Amino acid sequence: MTDGRIQALWGQVAAHAAGHGRKVSVADVCAVAVSSARLAGAWLAAARGSDPDFVMCVTGQVSEQLAELQLMLGEGPCRDVLASAAPVLAADLGNAEFGRRWPGFTPAARQLGAEAVFAFPLTVGVIRAGVLVLYRGSPGPLQDRQLGDLLILADAATVMLLDGAHGGAESEDGSWVDGQARNLAMHRAEIDQATGMLTVQLGVPAAAAFARLRAYAYSQDRRLADVAGDIVARRLRLPRGPDPARGL
Amino acid sequence: MDTDLLSDTFIDLADTMVADFDVIDFLHMLTDRTVRLLGASAAGVVLADPRGELRVAAASSEEVGLLELFQLQNDQGPCLDCFRTGRPVTAADLAAAAQQWPRFAQAAVQAGFRTVQALPMRLRDQVIGALNLFRAEPGAFDPADLRIAQALADVATIGLLHERNVRRRETVAEQLQAALNSRVVIEQAKGKLAERLGIDMDRAFTMLRDYARNTNQHLTDVARDFVASGTTEFPPSARRQPGR
Repeated sequence: MTDGRIQALWGQVAAHAAGHGRKVSVADVCAVAVSSARLAGAWLAAARGSDPDFVMCVTGQVSEQLAELQLMLGEGPCRDVLASAAPVLAADLGNAEFGRRWPGFTPAARQLGAEAVFAFPLTVGVIRAGVLVLYRGSPGPLQDRQLGDLLILADAATVMLLDGAHGGAESEDGSWVDGQARNLAMHRAEIDQATGMLTVQLGVPAAAAFARLRAYAYSQDRRLADVAGDIVARRLRLPRGPDPARGL
Repeated sequence: MDTDLLSDTFIDLADTMVADFDVIDFLHMLTDRTVRLLGASAAGVVLADPRGELRVAAASSEEVGLLELFQLQNDQGPCLDCFRTGRPVTAADLAAAAQQWPRFAQAAVQAGFRTVQALPMRLRDQVIGALNLFRAEPGAFDPADLRIAQALADVATIGLLHERNVRRRETVAEQLQAALNSRVVIEQAKGKLAERLGIDMDRAFTMLRDYARNTNQHLTDVARDFVASGTTEFPPSARRQPGR
């Protein structure tokens, strides 16, 4: 029941990139997230470990200031979403709960004009790729449909960051985008199980194992879930790749 | 119904919920007990992901066949109908339900099930998921038993949205996503352990859960530590050894 929505959102991301004459990146995901949920702005930070430590894109000056604020203060929704691997949906920063939770961030963010902040972890199980954060100048909850769209776009940003960081990025042309939408369409236990199996088979961390799984499915022009199913059924083993396993 | 088991179940659930507990482990226990109390063949909890999917949070068996039956219900089936209407859905004989849910009914019968019962998990006006019961024999579950099962589904809902009374509506969405990510962490750990020891996923799950219980840790924490560590050793004999 979800495939159509995913296709549509990926289509918007690809169209946004094409409209700017560039290849698809997380900046396009940010832009589509802002417009699809009628928000004021967004930023995306990549994470190594438990902190969001590298701001990859901002959609405007306020977004940039909000992102810097969190890095400076060491508190705020970014840090919380990475710790809990769950979104933080602060629909009204005027709610006393948020003043207590982030005593430094909340008043400073409101001073910059943000009254609602929605932060999404870019995670797959133990894999932490970063955070996507959006804000609005007026308080109010997200509609269910907007929440669903933002979760789907966060998934898109997650695989872009992971594929990019682990050499699996075939994003040189638009075909990469077409090929990926179907691979996000369903959360399947087999994909997560296969990722775990590959950490042993390939001797790499989970993020690299997941990227290798995706790259293999892409190179074979097969669905990710099908490849994962073969690995779980022990019909398929991936060879230790040419890219050296780092660190472990 | 085994009334001793019923009392034990409510005592265990209450004991769990007064302390800090692991949501997935809790839901797993609940599906186990539901199966035993109602004489079902299998049970599972599915949660509604705002992305537009029903996702399995826990099942009494980690068999692939059972999980696929839940997956299928993203297109059709009693689970989906129950979630959409917020009402219980009964399929007393799946062999006769081919018109209603052609693909689901066929797959369920092939997997050895004839009866399905779906019960809604509701919080006020919001349906957050469903508890599903499967049985090998045709024939509806006893209505008195179903009232018990609905009570268990309600307990599951409260357990899932644990820690605090839900003041902000957003808290429900936040905690659902946290539970779903926990489930992914556990799947990754099952995969790593199954590959390491050459065992199946069901056995890998049991080992992880037993180790968590015996060492008084959360299942999700045990799973996360195992996947994130550089070692493939399980149980971890010593503290993490970085840069092995």
